[in-house]
Amino acid sequence: MNGLVQGLGVTLKSMVSKKVTTSYPDEPILMPDRFRGIQHFIPDLCIVCNQCARICPTDCITLTGKPNPDPTKKVKVIDTFDINFEICILCDLCTEVCPTEAIVMTNHFELSAFSRDDLFKDVQWLTDNNTLVRQDNNNIGAPAKGGAK
Amino acid sequence: MGAWLHDSLTWSDAIIIFLWAVVFLFVVLGFVTYAIYFERKVIGWMQLRIGPNRVGPLGMLQTVADIFKLLIKEDTIPRKADRLLFVLAPILCYVPAFTVLAVIPYTEKLYFADLNVGLLYYAALSGISTLAIVLGGWASNNKYALLGGMRSAAQMISYEVPLVISVVGVILLSGSLNLRDIVDAQAGGWFWDWNFLPQIIGFVVFLIAAVSELNRTPFDLPEAESELVAGYHVEYSGFRFAFFMLSEYVYVYAIAALTTVLFLGGWHAPAPFLDFVPGIIWFLLKFAFIVFFLFWIRATFPRIRVDQLMGLGWKVLLPVSLLNVFLTAGYLELFVK
Amino acid sequence: MIRTEELLLNVGPQHPSTHGVFRIVVKLDGEVITEATPVMGYLHRGTEKLAEQLNYTQIIPYTDRMDYVSAMTNNYVLVHAVETMMNLEIPERAEFMRLIVMELQRIASHLVWWGTYLLDIGAMSPFLYAFRDREIIINLFNELSGARLTYNYMRVGGVKWDAPPGWLDKVRDFIPYMKGKLREYDKLVSGNEIFLARIKGIGRYDAATAINYGLSGANLRCTGVDWDLRKAEPYSLYNRFEFDVPLGKNGDCYDRYVIRLEEIRQSLRILEQALEQMPSGGETMGKVPRAIRPPAGEVYVRIESPRGEIGCHIVSKGKAEPYRLKFRRPSFVNLQILPKLLVGETMTNLITILGGVDIVVGEVDC
Repeated sequence: MNGLVQGLGVTLKSMVSKKVTTSYPDEPILMPDRFRGIQHFIPDLCIVCNQCARICPTDCITLTGKPNPDPTKKVKVIDTFDINFEICILCDLCTEVCPTEAIVMTNHFELSAFSRDDLFKDVQWLTDNNTLVRQDNNNIGAPAKGGAK
Repeated sequence: MGAWLHDSLTWSDAIIIFLWAVVFLFVVLGFVTYAIYFERKVIGWMQLRIGPNRVGPLGMLQTVADIFKLLIKEDTIPRKADRLLFVLAPILCYVPAFTVLAVIPYTEKLYFADLNVGLLYYAALSGISTLAIVLGGWASNNKYALLGGMRSAAQMISYEVPLVISVVGVILLSGSLNLRDIVDAQAGGWFWDWNFLPQIIGFVVFLIAAVSELNRTPFDLPEAESELVAGYHVEYSGFRFAFFMLSEYVYVYAIAALTTVLFLGGWHAPAPFLDFVPGIIWFLLKFAFIVFFLFWIRATFPRIRVDQLMGLGWKVLLPVSLLNVFLTAGYLELFVK
Repeated sequence: MIRTEELLLNVGPQHPSTHGVFRIVVKLDGEVITEATPVMGYLHRGTEKLAEQLNYTQIIPYTDRMDYVSAMTNNYVLVHAVETMMNLEIPERAEFMRLIVMELQRIASHLVWWGTYLLDIGAMSPFLYAFRDREIIINLFNELSGARLTYNYMRVGGVKWDAPPGWLDKVRDFIPYMKGKLREYDKLVSGNEIFLARIKGIGRYDAATAINYGLSGANLRCTGVDWDLRKAEPYSLYNRFEFDVPLGKNGDCYDRYVIRLEEIRQSLRILEQALEQMPSGGETMGKVPRAIRPPAGEVYVRIESPRGEIGCHIVSKGKAEPYRLKFRRPSFVNLQILPKLLVGETMTNLITILGGVDIVVGEVDC
């Protein structure tokens, strides 16, 4: 009997205590800086090294390069860059290996869509997704630096 | 109001009585709507949430929206269900729930039927709902529903007995089965004249058995969602499901009112100097406290097991309530007579 | 004599108390179970096969999704296996970070268990209380690794991130908070007579049976077998800390309940000591070759996950991908005793026993 009464006391006390729910769709949830959200892509920085597509565990990144319009430079420039968010697991590995930080994470996470087609994001969409970009990308896997930062 | 019932039945009287019943039906529906709302609010607060707050001001229209959703939902009947019984069960469940309310007095003036066997009438009719639950569980042709229905039958039969015997003490004290007379017998000005103190054993047994009769936590075995998915109403949808829910909440109303009348002094004020407050307010306050208590229990307790439920009913509650009858009778014989 | 027919009842894969998509086919005589057959595989994703085409870094996010309630320990068992094969030196700071997140994860995992178990028993509120407190740990992990459930935090040779400024202080503040909440839990549930009547003496087995079935974790310790890999085969830095391994006597659901709550307290104790001893700075990644290619051979490592012994068996042919990767998943192994335990129990006890085993279907099916 004592246990039952004590339990009733706990719930009665909780009734007047502070509530923990948030009114999410009305008030956006602010994620910490390190949050791994939908990627932002910066085409000018990309050197078409293919590292991100190779490290991706789900093969959701496809990219193609084209010859540099400036004939004096040998390095390719990016032509198409697509991420399929149907299978992307936002694991952070692509941003980890990118040597130029051309692909970085943002704090956006709202991906739901009515059509699967909407989940296929191209280079234009990813470039425009340029708000709340993550400051510290800690690309420990990138070939140029290597080791810990 | 009771006067009409004693007059000879004319067409005009019949229409007036019928209209009163309709008005009362809406009062009860209003109660159910806001009982569900407050249940969700209270349990929400106890679970550190805020409960419904989106539909209407403070979420007041949430239940209305829910009922509306149930009304416009597709009414499905499983192909292999027993159609007649399947359709009949929700009606059979609701009708007794509403009819038992006829005998409950709210104040000295405000009551419907002044029945001299009011308490028996209540106990007898409320037993019929059990039948409906078993029927619904059986007719669904679903194994979970069947298990829920069987549990319900076993549970309600075993708890009906202590429920009725626990109030025998009250009947002995007041010398009447009429609910109005029982309230009158508790008049004395102070709250210790109410039955819940002299009949403390009966009161506790009655409360436990009543919660069990309501199929509410911790006795919600027939619809134990973690075991039987939804129990006896697993195959019901739309309005038929709404009827089962409705009768559950009408029984909450009935039991809360009955507890108030039998044990908490009905419309009497707890102290003589508080007599200036109208009786209906006192009735509603006590009534609301019982309803809140039911919600509070639901937010706190886990569910009891079937075999323990049976053990508690037959081995504890029944002997204790019988003992209460003998104690009361002995007290009356030795000290009062 | 009355002729009774037995009822073949299909519990799951969509059932509120099978914790995901797990299925048991039970034969019922009245409400008493005469035979129970667990059917698993509804959440099978072929992690082990997929891993054969992936390099070791790529496998880490897959381990997050195995036991999704306890991703950090899964991360650790994989990187620990690879590190053992390659004989890598892990910086002390990184090892401390790993240990802190693993113990936090153990608390979070036990909180999920506690909440859902009470939900199985029929009490609603404890679930929300547990999730309120778990949310604090999840937010800490979110700040640390950038995700709330699938952390992908550990790397071969270290951890991805050092603690952000102020993070360790938040962990420090969490310890007394959680201790207070545990007292609240005890008040709300542990003394509740209905709850005790539901779980005492239910699902009993003895130590020999538990060992024969290969049980581990609280499912083994509830029979009194003192076997916690953190003590028995100290990995990481566990030999530096003082903590007790709570043991049961009766091997019933009640003992498992008490042990899991006590393990939260012990984890808090370890966290207190770890925060005390932690070096204030240093590397979080060791010296790791650019391409992770463990030498040809085999390795099996095991650690104590919240659910029991999680093991990782790697067969390497010296390539960047494993030749074969096998996880010993404690949920899967612990579940094997279920058909034996369920016979003769009621439908209600099925839920009590299944909940008491503490499975995560993502790990059962892998």
